[in-house]
Amino acid sequence: MLEMELFSDVIKLISDIRHSKLHNSYDIAIHTEELVERLISEGKWKSAQDLMSLIKLRIARFISALPQEATPVNIMRHILKIIRDEYDTGFKSKGEGHQSLHHLVTANINDSEDYSKLLPTLKSSLLNNLAEYKVELESSMDNIATQALEHIHANEIILTVGKSNTVEKFLKYAAKSRKFQVIVVEAAPRFHGHLMASNLAKSNIQTTIIPDSAVFAMMSRVNKVIIGTHTVLANGGLRTECGVHMVALAAKRYSIPIMVLAHMYKLSPMHLCSSEQDAFNICASPADVLPYSSGPLLNKVHVYNPAFDYVPPELVTLFISHQGGNAPSYVYRLLSELYHPDDQEL
Amino acid sequence: MLNETDIKSYFLNILNEENDVSAGVAAIRTLMKIIKYHDSGTIQGLLEDLKLGMEIMKNTNYPSAAITSGCGLFRRFITLAIKDTYTFAECQNVMLDRGNLFLNKLNASRNKIKKLACQFIVDGSRILTHSRSRVVLHALKEAAEQNRYFEVFVTKSAPDDSGERMYNDLRELKIPCTLIMDAAIGYIMESVDFVMVGAEAVVESGGIVNKIGSYTMALSAKAMNKPFYVLTESVKFSRLFPLNQSDLPDEYKYLPTARSGDLSKEDPLVDYTPPSYITLLFTDLGILTPSAVSDELIKLYL
Repeated sequence: MLEMELFSDVIKLISDIRHSKLHNSYDIAIHTEELVERLISEGKWKSAQDLMSLIKLRIARFISALPQEATPVNIMRHILKIIRDEYDTGFKSKGEGHQSLHHLVTANINDSEDYSKLLPTLKSSLLNNLAEYKVELESSMDNIATQALEHIHANEIILTVGKSNTVEKFLKYAAKSRKFQVIVVEAAPRFHGHLMASNLAKSNIQTTIIPDSAVFAMMSRVNKVIIGTHTVLANGGLRTECGVHMVALAAKRYSIPIMVLAHMYKLSPMHLCSSEQDAFNICASPADVLPYSSGPLLNKVHVYNPAFDYVPPELVTLFISHQGGNAPSYVYRLLSELYHPDDQEL
Repeated sequence: MLNETDIKSYFLNILNEENDVSAGVAAIRTLMKIIKYHDSGTIQGLLEDLKLGMEIMKNTNYPSAAITSGCGLFRRFITLAIKDTYTFAECQNVMLDRGNLFLNKLNASRNKIKKLACQFIVDGSRILTHSRSRVVLHALKEAAEQNRYFEVFVTKSAPDDSGERMYNDLRELKIPCTLIMDAAIGYIMESVDFVMVGAEAVVESGGIVNKIGSYTMALSAKAMNKPFYVLTESVKFSRLFPLNQSDLPDEYKYLPTARSGDLSKEDPLVDYTPPSYITLLFTDLGILTPSAVSDELIKLYL
């Protein structure tokens, strides 16, 4: 019966992301959450185990179609943890819990659990939990923004790269009560920085736009670098917009702190194994770099337009999530709270 | 009740006959044996007996770091078992049951580690390793079985030349490998992709105690921005917080036979690599950053 499942919901999600109907991670996160919520209330499942395998099949489907998009997988992975927790509290059993040294020493033989027993209250309690989770997702951006005053002080010069909704909101929140200057790196070849700069300028923030090549030259006068990210990796590194590694190295050179605004759903248990890792990076359309109108030149040169950069954890100062600030070395702890160890590899 | 020679011969027997068992696991198995044959009828007597067993094993010519951490973990586990039970016989049974479960998990740990580490060994990798580590060998074997093509450089690793054994093991598995001098670590570093070593013990700071020369290798790797990976079972986590090399206990650094003489003239067998030089630790608890190690230890011992 499981094989017969049509996955129409996840296929729709995939195509919406592919066709940029959903282009920011917040919308993707909310849509994924709603997808699972529908699956729980309307799907054909009896036990927690059924439900978990339904979700896992969707994750597998999603990974095979869009391996570089981590947000939906993270959301679903976290919901798997919620299901496990609900099941465990429903039966007052201990479950496998954290995979820890302590557990290794204290485990009993009858501790293992296969989540197959029926729990009549599971559906309603899960829907309650997911409603809470959705509120958490919806308020995450505002929660991050309200921390802005702790990090941005009067008359500081802040540098940011490209466009991030979270960073925009963060800066605008601080601008309500502080006066500071923002330097926006334009982020070629997509130039999302231009839109960011115009949005900030509209909120009366003193904004300067610079080309990517001017980052090092400008860095000496910057007080803080504040950026968003695509994914936070398990070691505290970043998979983020191409060009940020360069900015991070320039900041390191001048010992300028880098704050990364990251929603919890951006935390992924993935590691960067090698720089040639499959599906770590993708190449976007080369038309941005060399337009098709360049005609004869197109035949003579190769054009690459990689979408992502890996930024190692040593270059990041602080992650700011809705729970507050965390150092990169603490990411492993957040991950173990967010996801069940058995779900980290899917 | 086992006497001193029984304990010693049982322990040495495991290590001599079973090639694939580490000293830490052998120590735990010996302690299990002591529990099984103990007949004083009191917990106090049993604890005394176990303490004696540990001393005996530490005084054999095997790496004391692994034995100490294995025994430490096992002792902790016993104190946790005592809390849950009432009579001695009951307690003895609980200990044996849990002990067996514990050993089974430890035996499974190398398989977990090799799977985690294997994904980092990609086609075309050039890997530098030091001395001989069973778990590194397992991981390399697993990668070779998955038809990955990679090359390994092994240091000769004086004074016991354990690198030569590693080299022969790799040759047997038909993995392309080269034996290099210990002094050539700096020379080879620019041409390798990453370093992968085992550990005798992992200390609370997240640093490791390993065969002498590991620290040199880590320093060199850091200088050339190469990742330094450590593969280790969680049974090797130990409650030690060395700040420098001289903080390491003498029993880690020198063999029992050498300990009676003038230590300043002896060559140490292990060194301490601080956590700042380690990129990641691959353990049966997952892939950990060095800072995660202290968290695990605190959870257990607090």
